[in-house]
Amino acid sequence: MSELIKRFLPFVSLVALCVVIAAIEPRFLSAGNLASVARQTAVITIISMGMTMVMVSGGIDLSVGSILALSGVVGAIALVSGVPIVIGVVTAIATGAACGLLNGAAVAMLRIPPFIVTLGAMGIYRGIALLITDGKAVVGVPSGFGYLAEGNLLGVVPVPLLIVLIVALATHVLLVNTLPGRYCYAIGSNIEAARHAGIRVSRYQVLFYALLGALAGLAGSIESARLVTAPPTAGEGYELRVIAAVVIGGGSLAGGQGTVIGTVIGALIMGVLANGANLLGISSFAQQVVIGAVIVLAVTFDEFQRRRIEATSA
Amino acid sequence: MTRTLTLEMRGISKSFAGNPVLAGVNLAAAAGEVHALVGENGAGKSTLMKILAGVYQPDAGEILIDGSPAQFSRPADALEHGIAMIYQELSLAGRLTVADNIFLGREPLALAPLKVISQRAINERAARVLTGYGFDIDPRARVERLGAADRQLVEITRATLEATRVLVMDEPTSSLTTREVDELFRLIRDLKAKGIAIIYISHRLEELESIADRLTILRDGRVVYEGAWGEISTDVMIRHMAGRELKEIFPRRTAEPGETRLRVDGLSRAGKFSSVTLQARAGEVVGIAGLAGAGRTELVETIFGIRQADSGEVRVNGVRIDALRPDRAVAQGLGLLTEDRKQAGLCLNLSLAQNLTLSNVRALVKTWKLDRKRETAIARGFIERLHIRPPNPTKIIARMSGGNQQKVLLGRWLFANSKVFLLDEPTRGVDVAARSEIYRAINELAEAGAAVVMVSSDLPELLGMSDRILVMRRGRIVSELDAKTTTQEEVLTHAAVAEARG
Repeated sequence: MSELIKRFLPFVSLVALCVVIAAIEPRFLSAGNLASVARQTAVITIISMGMTMVMVSGGIDLSVGSILALSGVVGAIALVSGVPIVIGVVTAIATGAACGLLNGAAVAMLRIPPFIVTLGAMGIYRGIALLITDGKAVVGVPSGFGYLAEGNLLGVVPVPLLIVLIVALATHVLLVNTLPGRYCYAIGSNIEAARHAGIRVSRYQVLFYALLGALAGLAGSIESARLVTAPPTAGEGYELRVIAAVVIGGGSLAGGQGTVIGTVIGALIMGVLANGANLLGISSFAQQVVIGAVIVLAVTFDEFQRRRIEATSA
Repeated sequence: MTRTLTLEMRGISKSFAGNPVLAGVNLAAAAGEVHALVGENGAGKSTLMKILAGVYQPDAGEILIDGSPAQFSRPADALEHGIAMIYQELSLAGRLTVADNIFLGREPLALAPLKVISQRAINERAARVLTGYGFDIDPRARVERLGAADRQLVEITRATLEATRVLVMDEPTSSLTTREVDELFRLIRDLKAKGIAIIYISHRLEELESIADRLTILRDGRVVYEGAWGEISTDVMIRHMAGRELKEIFPRRTAEPGETRLRVDGLSRAGKFSSVTLQARAGEVVGIAGLAGAGRTELVETIFGIRQADSGEVRVNGVRIDALRPDRAVAQGLGLLTEDRKQAGLCLNLSLAQNLTLSNVRALVKTWKLDRKRETAIARGFIERLHIRPPNPTKIIARMSGGNQQKVLLGRWLFANSKVFLLDEPTRGVDVAARSEIYRAINELAEAGAAVVMVSSDLPELLGMSDRILVMRRGRIVSELDAKTTTQEEVLTHAAVAEARG
């Protein structure tokens, strides 16, 4: 019973939220507005996919916003220097992957709690982004770059939405249908049991952090395409929204739980909340309060569930 | 002889998740007397003492202090009645000093209304107490910097200050040297003289000899003997502790041992065990006996590569595993069933099938994709073979009984094609019906040509299942016994009694 509630609560909340907003402000349901919700949530959703992997494996990464900024900056510098757009995007992804790899290595090899490692990394990557740009946004990216964020495939499907779909599908397949995915759940469920089962735990931890970094790098490209510049201050506070998306979607801070579908719904809930608040003229400051409160609620719910499971299996 | 009873526990019963751990236990302690409480691991001693300390609440029974009933719903209640406890697992605040720990929660206060802690008073008083007890410890040293023995002495010191009526000592000498044990015994005699009742839990019978006045023996959650110390001989005590005859049926194996599967040579790990050499052959079950703390769990964990060895080597089927590591051990055909299923065995929120295949998920990969249909089919096969209940591959393993969880873990190593099984307390917390199925499964493994090394504190099980029994004491294998001819008494004697008999 509680299992069912847990599985469908995010989805039901999302539908309820949409119904309420649409009732007050019918413009919410217009194709144009829905497309803009998709564009606005794309960056957060893409990073959330990586965060789902890391959190399912029992980790967390607070540095995703900084990785986004650093990758965006490095990718933009490459583009300004004249490389093709694809290479610019690949550069950003590679930068993100490298950052994630370092995070993962510190967590896995040095066995430092991920919260601490990535809190430090958050400062380090942001600092590097500021240093190499001298605090100023990188400007002069080629005009075609904007297609990544603002373009439409066949004139109707927003490009960022397409990227989200591909990333989500790939992450889902990885988590559900592959060896690393299975290990991800096992490590997050009980890292000692995974080790005792002969799994090379650290190797997989590094993999998940690197994948998250790569996705944050991709998101960095999309973000700078959307802004048409790459500010070193991009992505501030995104870690909060990304972690919220995972937790609202049923992911557990204790690890071992979380799904791609849940996280997508979690990201959409926050996107719709933000969009609805804008439509209804609620300040963006109030939105932050709401997001914070929703995280605490979701975690509390998860914690009670966990305690109940432990009590029944004692 | 009439004794004034400081403490009386009457008819104490306690179950955990339907498993009775204590059934109608009585325990009485008189002022100025040392009451020895003995029993095998799992007999219920620690649970009984945690009830006395207010950590657990009994399902039935009552506690009387100086003849009047008392209710302990929190540890603070027990302390208020002057009952203090020295736990087996040390419970000190590592970053605080020795003196701070000794007075934790009862700090002498200065400047009355402000309740300022007087650091100087704490240090001076701690120094006085420690010197009085003959313990050579600096009260200003941080506890985390102390060795195990000194920590134990700090713990003892704190407890003696708290105990005005009853002091419980759970294996207080486990990390002390002979000299320190002497100091402790002198302290115990002082406490006796002050009229404090002492309940003393120990596996070391020779140590009890010099201090115990009375004796209670627990077995399977019941009192099987109570009387003045010295009324029964050590042999009779040991028989009471081991007690139960071969209740479960241990199916016999017919296969003759074959080639050597596991070879351990001179394996050592500082402070835990040293120069352990053993072999296990195909079709053979080698039992490892010993008391808690003898180093048995550390030994199997080190063979498997969970812990680092300081020296020595491990060979599986003649292949040396260099730099022991769990993934290499698994690849060479080793499988470890840990003592604590929940801590290091199960992924509680994964399903039966997912837990079962965990050590060999690779075998399910077709090109790049997990063949989940095959996984389900494999799980069904093991469910049938091992009689796993409920027979549902998608059942979340947290919701299964201990016995069935254990069968899933055995299945994990079967599916991983393990050739050497290291089993650490394989039937702990498992009900009788599931036990005999686990025994049958272990025999099947052996018959199929696996070598089994089984650590167990359950002597009937060890005798019934093993071909040979290696007895460990204080990190060394002290004797090898033939399981067919040895007795529980003999095993316990080798494990518990020091050189006099061994």
